[in-house]
Amino acid sequence: MRSIVAVTLLMIAFSVSARGIYQTDEAFLAETFNNDVPKSQVVWIKGDLRKSISDILGHNYAGLRIRYWHKDGRKAWVLEEIGKVEPITFGIVSAKDKVEKVKVLAFRESRGGEIRYPAFTQQFDDAKLNGNELDRHIDGISGATLSVRAMTAVVTLALYLDKFTSQ
Amino acid sequence: MNRRMRSLHRSMGALVALFVMMLAITGMLLNHTSELKLDQRYLTWNWLLEHYGVATVEADAVFLLDQKVISQFDKQVFVDAQPATQVQRPIIGGVVLDDLMIVATDDALILLSPEGEFIERMGSATGIPSQIQNIGLFHGDPVIQTRDGMWRSDFLLEQWEKISLSGISWSSPQPMPDIVETDLAEYFHGKGITVERFILDLHNGHILDRFGVWFLDAFAVLIILLSLTGLWMWGRQLR
Repeated sequence: MRSIVAVTLLMIAFSVSARGIYQTDEAFLAETFNNDVPKSQVVWIKGDLRKSISDILGHNYAGLRIRYWHKDGRKAWVLEEIGKVEPITFGIVSAKDKVEKVKVLAFRESRGGEIRYPAFTQQFDDAKLNGNELDRHIDGISGATLSVRAMTAVVTLALYLDKFTSQ
Repeated sequence: MNRRMRSLHRSMGALVALFVMMLAITGMLLNHTSELKLDQRYLTWNWLLEHYGVATVEADAVFLLDQKVISQFDKQVFVDAQPATQVQRPIIGGVVLDDLMIVATDDALILLSPEGEFIERMGSATGIPSQIQNIGLFHGDPVIQTRDGMWRSDFLLEQWEKISLSGISWSSPQPMPDIVETDLAEYFHGKGITVERFILDLHNGHILDRFGVWFLDAFAVLIILLSLTGLWMWGRQLR
């Protein structure tokens, strides 16, 4: 009985601990650009771009514009995507059509928080677009399927927007 | 003894007759739901809708921006009765700036189009001062009050300068207009309660919630007593 209670408490503690803000948007940008954050720019989501983004995400993008920060060929994106029911905030850095860095900035779901670990996020290092998909398979995590799907979609979106804003 | 029993029997009979008539009428109506289209008609009596808890909705915050009503229910933000976006923090005010509606939470500004479409959330990463306490307008420029002081910007909302001004028109909460409340009630509760549901609830006692079950139990006991007193008197007559 005691062991069941202990395991239950451990599981509750783990699921609660997965929620939180791991890094503020500001801190992510400061880290990315060595405290010299450039002025932000926006890309308006309309026409064909809106359709392409819908295809990538699997649903319409909830917003009319996306903000990004661009300096010395590197672009930083702070994007949100629903995991299961709550939005997960991702910070993505792209450079030369490739992923340089992916971080979970805020996680609000009760399960699936494992996607924030570098052991998982490093799968995206140097990932590129192949059509409108990533050029590689991303291994899933048991119990975090929707969070993995959200991260994969958002990284794909960042690469697509990187390419779009470079045209 | 026989006279007393007859008197009790008559009183119980009158009481039971009322309920039997009610059950018979509601039962017949339910038998003809389709023909009478009871499942397509909706209650319109406000006191009855209030009894069902579908007449009103209670927003966490309401602000009137130009001709639009901005309201928040938990994390969902509505423009009039249409869901616009979700926010993690409570809305504390809003202003209209050129062709933008700007809604403030304590950590961000939410930009909405005049039609109520969500444009973007601007947080501290875009230069918005943090710990916002209120938002207002000063000669058409957006002004926000933070714990750290007062800040003014322009329509781009990207550069904020610290200022000290008076005469600012601050945003303040407003009551929900009735027409929008009605629309929101329909959004949350659908068209409301069908006449069929109401008659069914009358028939099975659920109209009185948990008391309805006890009420029907009491009615059943009355019928049993009525039967027993009737049998007893019939038995006496045979002797």
